[in-house]
Amino acid sequence: MVDKRFELSRTLARAALAAVGLAMVAAVAAGPARAADPIRIGLVAGISGACGPLVDGEVKAVELGVDQLNAKGGLLGRPIELIKRDSKTKPDEGAKLARELVLNDKVDVLTGTCSSAVMLAVSAVSKELKTPFYSTIGNSQKANIEAFQPYFWQTQAHALMEAAAAAEFVAGHADWKRVVPMGFDYEWGHTSVDTFVAHLKQLRPDMEIADPLFPKIGESNMTSYITAALAQKPDVVYAAVFGGGLINLIKQGKSFGFFQRASLVTLMTVDTMQALAKDMPAKGVSGYARAPFFELMGNPKAKAFVEAYRERYGVYPDDWATSSYDGLMYLAAAIEAAGGTDADKLMAAVTSITVHGLRGDALKVRDFDHLMNAPVYVGDVTTDSPYGFPIMKNVVRIDADKTMPSKEQVEKLRAAAQ
Amino acid sequence: MLTVQIVNGLMEGMMLFLIASGLTLIFGVSRIINFAHGSLYMLGAFLTYQLVPLFSDGSLLGFAVAVLLGAVLAAAVGALFEMAVLRRIYRAPELMQLIVTIALVLIVRDLVRLVWGPNNVSVSMPDALAGAVQIGDSFFPTFQFAIFGAGLLVVALMIAIIRFTRAGVLLRAATDDRGMVALLGIDQRRIFTATFAAGSFLAGLAGGLASPFGNVNYLLDTEVIVAAFIVVVIGGLGNLYGALAGALAVGVIKSLGVLYFPRLAMVLIFLVMAAVLLVRSMGRRELQR
Repeated sequence: MVDKRFELSRTLARAALAAVGLAMVAAVAAGPARAADPIRIGLVAGISGACGPLVDGEVKAVELGVDQLNAKGGLLGRPIELIKRDSKTKPDEGAKLARELVLNDKVDVLTGTCSSAVMLAVSAVSKELKTPFYSTIGNSQKANIEAFQPYFWQTQAHALMEAAAAAEFVAGHADWKRVVPMGFDYEWGHTSVDTFVAHLKQLRPDMEIADPLFPKIGESNMTSYITAALAQKPDVVYAAVFGGGLINLIKQGKSFGFFQRASLVTLMTVDTMQALAKDMPAKGVSGYARAPFFELMGNPKAKAFVEAYRERYGVYPDDWATSSYDGLMYLAAAIEAAGGTDADKLMAAVTSITVHGLRGDALKVRDFDHLMNAPVYVGDVTTDSPYGFPIMKNVVRIDADKTMPSKEQVEKLRAAAQ
Repeated sequence: MLTVQIVNGLMEGMMLFLIASGLTLIFGVSRIINFAHGSLYMLGAFLTYQLVPLFSDGSLLGFAVAVLLGAVLAAAVGALFEMAVLRRIYRAPELMQLIVTIALVLIVRDLVRLVWGPNNVSVSMPDALAGAVQIGDSFFPTFQFAIFGAGLLVVALMIAIIRFTRAGVLLRAATDDRGMVALLGIDQRRIFTATFAAGSFLAGLAGGLASPFGNVNYLLDTEVIVAAFIVVVIGGLGNLYGALAGALAVGVIKSLGVLYFPRLAMVLIFLVMAAVLLVRSMGRRELQR
């Protein structure tokens, strides 16, 4: 009796085991094809640390975009899941989190980085783990040139392009004869100043270019740099600075009478204009921008984005938000074109599609350096604005074909780096 | 040009002194290295940002009221922190005290971010200080002269209090010999709380005063604390006059550095700090022999 019962329970156990096993095999087989399996986007960004103020808009815009896509049924019938991680604006932390996102959270795509240093660190992880990664804020050209790797793409004008656009703008003012270049004392600032100077020398050989000044990043007291720049009696100061340091430069410059004596050409994004509000000088500030919403309102897609953003957050989107939303929608189009998230198929789609985005109707990514043909917007800052904070007027859209380095230039730079 | 940069450096130096004075005061009495000093500075700046619209429509008096009120609130936060936390760990190893003040840095930073958000904000310059003073063919911001005046006023007040009041006598006594003060039957805890509140007041005052001259955001704390530490280390920890000299020296070195070695301006300051530390420690070794 005992044996029989034992025999019976063993049979039952075997049957149960087999059933479970079969179910598991079935589940595994069905897994990748199952409609509800989400597409996971890992966002690594300096939510805290020096990038905090910039990343705020980025995160808001990406969350809005993901919700909009999901409301339409996701991509290819799969929902999108956004997983956020705070790199604290530290390269090693960013790389560690990117690795965890890929290995533990099984994300299909990485994005988010704001600091160029973190971007390059995450790009290295993306290369190693063969996980597609795109940047919408951090824009060191290194990721497209010397440290290029096939799973990265850039949806911004990179630093060389912005500096070239600034040089075009300065060169276009025939009455400007003397310029003082200035940049934050780190990789981006130096690259920008060097590119600006080289480009300007070609465009305007007659222009006098003073020795550049390099305040530390985020410098709280710009006064010695302001007096040193003004002592050169410049017509214009080019400043590769941004955020808090730029606000310091403008407010302190204002009390030195800077804007009565010279013009300033600098990276001028919506968040800076919102922060300065009525403290912005009425004249003398010109800027180059990445995605100023007020210039894009003629595009119905951009207008719809601005309205949805305002409805959800109660504020106008800054450049970081607008360009990050544009980057997300480019990714969405690429996933649909690739028919999935397989890394190699996705990258092939990234470099072959053309997308009607917020910044134009023919956004695409070049195949040899994975750089988007993103425009740069230049114009003069005015306090005469319908939005309650300054905007830019006389805005000229400088198309990427004027600023992107050619294939030969890129190859030369790559060869020189080796 | 040389004079322009020197004047400018002195102006910047005075701003640094305003920040460093409270730090060095607290260290002098309680031997606590208060990492949260920058946080109280930031709090002063944000409170000023919040209060200015209530009191001032560009008037100088309203601005002054807002700054002072902001500083008083910062002092209250400092006093509360001292009584609730620091007081319990004066006997703990110094490292422990340092870590507790770092905890305050994190708490204040998160609270500030929660209340005012992560974006930059701007405090408007009072109208009376918005212009520039012309000296020769150079312009200097009126505002900087006002800050210089405020700095001198703070120095004078601090000297007056330290020299001529009973509180000052106790302060000096506590700085010199804590044990002796206790033996004389004076409640040390009150001295410590008062000092911490006074130091926090100075931090909040500096933050409020400097706020129209630049950007205010939740990252100000760390920006400020580094500069303040450099000044205090050069001047000698706990030494008020040293802090004044150190602050003015750092300001002038920086602005002359920008003039003569534009690419090395920041390094120069650290070189001076290293040199001061080296010379001092060698001096100490001499004494020990």
